[in-house]
Amino acid sequence: MQRLSNAILALRGLSSGVWVIASLFVLSLILVLIRQPSTQGDLQFWVFSPEHAEMYEPLIESHDETHGVKLDMSIMSIAAIQSRMMSGFFGGLPTADLIEVEKAVAPQAFMGPIDAIGFHDLTDLLAEEGLLAELNEPSLSPWSVDGRVFGLPHDVHPVMLAYRADITEAAGIDLSQAETWEEYFAMLRPLMQDGNSDGRIDHTPLSFWYTNQDLIETLMLQGDGQLFTPTGEPVIASDRNAHLLATLVSWCVGPDRTAIDVNEWSAAGHQEKVEGLAIGYIAPDWMCSIWKMHVPGLEGKLKLMPLPAFEPGGRRTSVRGGTMLGIPKTTAQFDRAWDYAKLLYTSPEVARQLYREVDIISPVRSLWDDPVYNEPDPFFMGQRKGRMYIELAPEIPLRPSSPYNKQAAIDVRDAALNLADYANRNGVYSAEELMPESSRLLERVQSQVERRMRRNAFAAQDLANAEGSDE
Amino acid sequence: MSSGGIDRKRVLFSWAMLAPFLALFVVFVVYPLIQSAFLAANQTFGPGTRTFVGTKNFELLLSDPVFWKSIRNTFIYAMGSLFIQLPIAFLLALALNSPKLKGRGIYRLIFFSPQLMGLVFVSILGALAFEKRAGLINQALDAARINDLLVWLTGNDAWLEPDWLQQHVMATLILISLWLYVGFNMIYFLAALQSVDKSLMEAAEIDGAGPWGKLRHVVFPSVKPVATFVILLSMIGSLQLFELPYILLESSGGPDNKGLTIVMYLYQNGFDLGDLGFASAIGWVLALILIGLALVQVKLTRAQEVSS
Repeated sequence: MQRLSNAILALRGLSSGVWVIASLFVLSLILVLIRQPSTQGDLQFWVFSPEHAEMYEPLIESHDETHGVKLDMSIMSIAAIQSRMMSGFFGGLPTADLIEVEKAVAPQAFMGPIDAIGFHDLTDLLAEEGLLAELNEPSLSPWSVDGRVFGLPHDVHPVMLAYRADITEAAGIDLSQAETWEEYFAMLRPLMQDGNSDGRIDHTPLSFWYTNQDLIETLMLQGDGQLFTPTGEPVIASDRNAHLLATLVSWCVGPDRTAIDVNEWSAAGHQEKVEGLAIGYIAPDWMCSIWKMHVPGLEGKLKLMPLPAFEPGGRRTSVRGGTMLGIPKTTAQFDRAWDYAKLLYTSPEVARQLYREVDIISPVRSLWDDPVYNEPDPFFMGQRKGRMYIELAPEIPLRPSSPYNKQAAIDVRDAALNLADYANRNGVYSAEELMPESSRLLERVQSQVERRMRRNAFAAQDLANAEGSDE
Repeated sequence: MSSGGIDRKRVLFSWAMLAPFLALFVVFVVYPLIQSAFLAANQTFGPGTRTFVGTKNFELLLSDPVFWKSIRNTFIYAMGSLFIQLPIAFLLALALNSPKLKGRGIYRLIFFSPQLMGLVFVSILGALAFEKRAGLINQALDAARINDLLVWLTGNDAWLEPDWLQQHVMATLILISLWLYVGFNMIYFLAALQSVDKSLMEAAEIDGAGPWGKLRHVVFPSVKPVATFVILLSMIGSLQLFELPYILLESSGGPDNKGLTIVMYLYQNGFDLGDLGFASAIGWVLALILIGLALVQVKLTRAQEVSS
């Protein structure tokens, strides 16, 4: 009794703050305890695109019903997938059974020794099931390390040139005849006038700028510029890269520059597209749906054509972006996950919907005969856009999966910036005149990347191995 | 019951109350701290790799020009906060503390509202405002013919249509952060100004002090402790700058790393290049700088306490 009264006295002595905290504690505890745990499926699937998820849903539902399995699909941002996936891989903890990984994130999952990669090596399975031969070969390169494939490609993302056909045709210019960039710019020169006397050229031939890292990378890949060999050795300071960089920067500098920086994503940039500030736009397949959604004013004004080549007979396409589906090694149900992966990435239904909804063509070659790709697209003046992209798909350049690629591409962008600055300061604007400085800047980038790689004991070893295998 | 028994119970009760916090503190602060110290002496290259390198990460770091550039950028930003943001915040607080000003509540809300919107939203709006052709800033400069004046003064045509986020990265970051944080710091100053002893102000008035005299001899000494705190808080916040340049510069350090901050460099090395060891070394250098600043604050606060 005495003890109880002591306890009551002790409690009475507590301040009101303590009572508030204690009440909140009890309340939270009750809420946590009464909260029903969410029902978890047999397998987990992380997706970053709501559009993808929407397409997968009906297929997953019918598969779940037929096979008595439940796949839980969670939509999260690319950054959230990146941090959860990498935390899981670093800590050896379970992630999801299936993960969709975006191109910019994938190389981080491929760091280190090949055995330590967090995803299952799918190469043998793909070969056994005949899928390796079925998939568009260059589309496997960003998801491959030392010839081993760690993800199913979701797409191809070939690149074409979209141009304001309404403006060029009104001026009597048939741009489809332009085979090289030089011809393209020459054909559009008559349009480079300040017709409305606002002090600005009304129609500049190309939307491109030396600060746009993605576009620099895309066009350098088109011209066979490579930053890394397939074994991961940096080859940034090559003559080819120097020539390409000098050419790209020459488009953006000087009184007769042929490129302008129309923002790809902002509302102001979209308005400038409608106004025809630039005639040509670099257009991967996925960009078509972006324009349909955000720049409807372009409907019926654009046409697509293969990218003009850097030299006669050169490559007429490139590649930009990409997604893969990987199965982490921590999954306890690999076979089931693999079934879902094939269902979602190789089924004709999803491929058809992928094209209809977001204009993306499938990397599965046997699906390329689908009539959906022959449908005329009114947005592009009735062109059979799908077929045009498919014809270019086998030609897309290979891309390295080096974890150093992202930083190297940023460094190359900086080199372009410095080269443009050099051009403006010295009044030298032609690619030939810019070549020596371009080479010097790329050598600097090469040494920066090598220093970054040599700093790390593991990467330095990889670099040494790559150099050794070249000799 | 002995007093020793009650004391023991009180001690036990205190520990029981502290236990939830301590458990979280150990799991989320102490353990990562120890782990990061261990990591700083190792190198990694993605999952499943680790090799002991001793102090090599720190040696490499100190000889890394990009790291020094990130230090330089971060301190430029911190100085911008210190010498531009805080004086403006103080002046705003002075203005909003004046009883003569009508609608003070509305102004307070307006200046504080960027904090309510959040950093990501403000960053995106900032990027739109500083857009090259259609952005509000360039449109305003154009309308007021200021860009012509700048071209005339500098002889540089780039001022006709400045690409802020490419050509003037740090200036743009400082200007956007001004918008974001000036209202936040203003609230601290306002609170300090409102607690200035009125009798001291009246005494100063009787003694014939003018507005400047009152400001210098009454207001400044009264707000000094809060100002010290705000300066330190602002410096520490500036040194941890990450989200703003990360969003505005699309996860890179900007052209020629002109917008690369210490924390961004840490992130790049740890998460883009998979070297958690090198990233931990950067983290420890930053931690030492912050500890140094905290010690300065402690010293200044004690000096103020002694003098008062």
